[in-house]
Amino acid sequence: MRKAIAILLCFVALVSCNRETPAANDKKTVALVLKTLNHPFFVDMRRGAQEAADRLGVTLQVQAAEREIDVDKQMQIVENMLQTGIDVLAITPSGSREIVTALVKASSANVPIIIVDTRLDAKAAADAGVKARTFIGSDNYAGGRLAGEYVVSLTGGKAKVGVLEGIPGHETGDSRLRGFRDAVAKAPGITIVASQPANWERDQGFNVFQNMLQAHPEIDTVFAASDLMALGAIEAIAAARKTGTIRVVGFDALDDAKKAIAAGTMAASVAQFPYEMGKAAVESAVKLLAGETLPADIMVKLEMVTKDTGVK
Amino acid sequence: MKARRYGTLMGLVLLCAILWILTPHFLTVSNLLNVAQQTSINAIVAVGMTFVIISGGIDLSVGSIVALSGVALGAMLQGGQPTLVAIAGSLVAGILCGLTNGLLISIGRLPPFIATLGMMSVARGAALLFTEGRPVSGFDEGFRWIATGSIGFIPAPVIVMIAIYLVAHLVLTRTTFGRYVYAIGGNEEATRLSGVSIAFHKTAIYCVAGLMSAAAAIVLTARLNSAQPIAGMMYELDAIAATVIGGTSLMGGEGSLGGTLVGALIMGVLRNGLNLLGVSSFLQQIVIGGVIVGAVLVDTILKRHRT
Repeated sequence: MRKAIAILLCFVALVSCNRETPAANDKKTVALVLKTLNHPFFVDMRRGAQEAADRLGVTLQVQAAEREIDVDKQMQIVENMLQTGIDVLAITPSGSREIVTALVKASSANVPIIIVDTRLDAKAAADAGVKARTFIGSDNYAGGRLAGEYVVSLTGGKAKVGVLEGIPGHETGDSRLRGFRDAVAKAPGITIVASQPANWERDQGFNVFQNMLQAHPEIDTVFAASDLMALGAIEAIAAARKTGTIRVVGFDALDDAKKAIAAGTMAASVAQFPYEMGKAAVESAVKLLAGETLPADIMVKLEMVTKDTGVK
Repeated sequence: MKARRYGTLMGLVLLCAILWILTPHFLTVSNLLNVAQQTSINAIVAVGMTFVIISGGIDLSVGSIVALSGVALGAMLQGGQPTLVAIAGSLVAGILCGLTNGLLISIGRLPPFIATLGMMSVARGAALLFTEGRPVSGFDEGFRWIATGSIGFIPAPVIVMIAIYLVAHLVLTRTTFGRYVYAIGGNEEATRLSGVSIAFHKTAIYCVAGLMSAAAAIVLTARLNSAQPIAGMMYELDAIAATVIGGTSLMGGEGSLGGTLVGALIMGVLRNGLNLLGVSSFLQQIVIGGVIVGAVLVDTILKRHRT
């Protein structure tokens, strides 16, 4: 027992040397709270944010929940980070409505809020009196349209489409789907024969599409609201020995998706630029700290990546 | 038994001491209230889990019951039911799930693992089906007080948690039902031979677990201002972790709610502290896993030394 206490004291002594002295460090701190870090999209976003933070001389604190759908955990992270006296909060909300409760606490602590990638629910935010200083992201609706128009031109206006949706009720996925549906609705020869959520995940994309293919063997085109689900679907297509007969269009243009496009197993993907979003988030935070006001929306470009456009 | 409980408590104190040294932001009133509030939901679910585990069972369905009773609550509130009626309805939904578990286990003789594994999937599916996968959100301030209000400076969820622990502790230690929970977990056959209705008491134990899940769902729904059919995923594992860190034996027959509360607080403090320190979220999972195993290991070693 005495030995244990001795070891413990040594440990305590060691860590106390390490204790940060906040007074000695007057660099401003920007918190970036992501949905998760087990998705390449958010890893890229973090990289962009880190680059900007290093360049502009602010401290960047990045935290994320273990699972993308865990809003309560994300709220806890926000609450906890507010305790450390952050100067700006940039966040990609896991739930457009739910996160508002935590943002109220940021507002009352006078920490300015920057929303990235997924918009807040306008009504929930207004009801709670939460006002974000800016929104940084791509227009998901426009991206969905882009994908839809591409499918129309690729198929000559005749296709049986299976759709893999994200988590129901997510603004990001819902907007992409609305854009896609609006675009293909203009081509009477295109029907969406099945549309099911695969919750943004690769393995669920595999399973859900495998089942979809069982029920609707006539499907010749897939639109997935994210590349991870599209990549899952590609595996399911390979397992059904239908590679090459079903066109797959995804969203996000992840590295793996670009490889699939180069290899011809995937037709196209809508490129978003999470690196740019992360960079813009920190740059905007620094502007806020300098007392500047920001535009309500900062739009990050979208691009259709196909074999023809060249895979970078 | 007392020594073991203090062992866990010492672990909590030690953890707090280390965090106090590492970060100036930990030991502030606002942060500690923050931790208590964040812990409350897991702690409430863990009350039911403690009853179940002391009786020698396990309940894997608590997270899904949180989701199902949460969406039932959300739908009733949106449907214009008075807050108290909706809360009562949600509690009934939780109890019904627990009742089904209990009957499958006691009358159907299914192992608790299987019965509650089934319920885990059924309740989750029912919650998704009922809401078509979409969250039910936007409630009035009166209801939201459960999460956002406070009495004095103590947040309402913490008061709810303390009240539940006090009542549950009395039930577990001062009533015949409580004694039978320990007896069933210690030696079911002997308990049965002494004339106790095992079926009735086991069913009641799973009803308690369902009830506690629903109570947690009420706090969670108020906190999120939204009832999500995907809420409560993995809550069963957090609740089991809090219970075993708190010194309740998975073999049944021993354990205490005081220990479970300390166990839940250890998990809450750890998550909070790692956030405050800005530890990478990947490393956080490793640390939390290590602490769960470490706490139980120390406990087992201490126990071996004492006997």
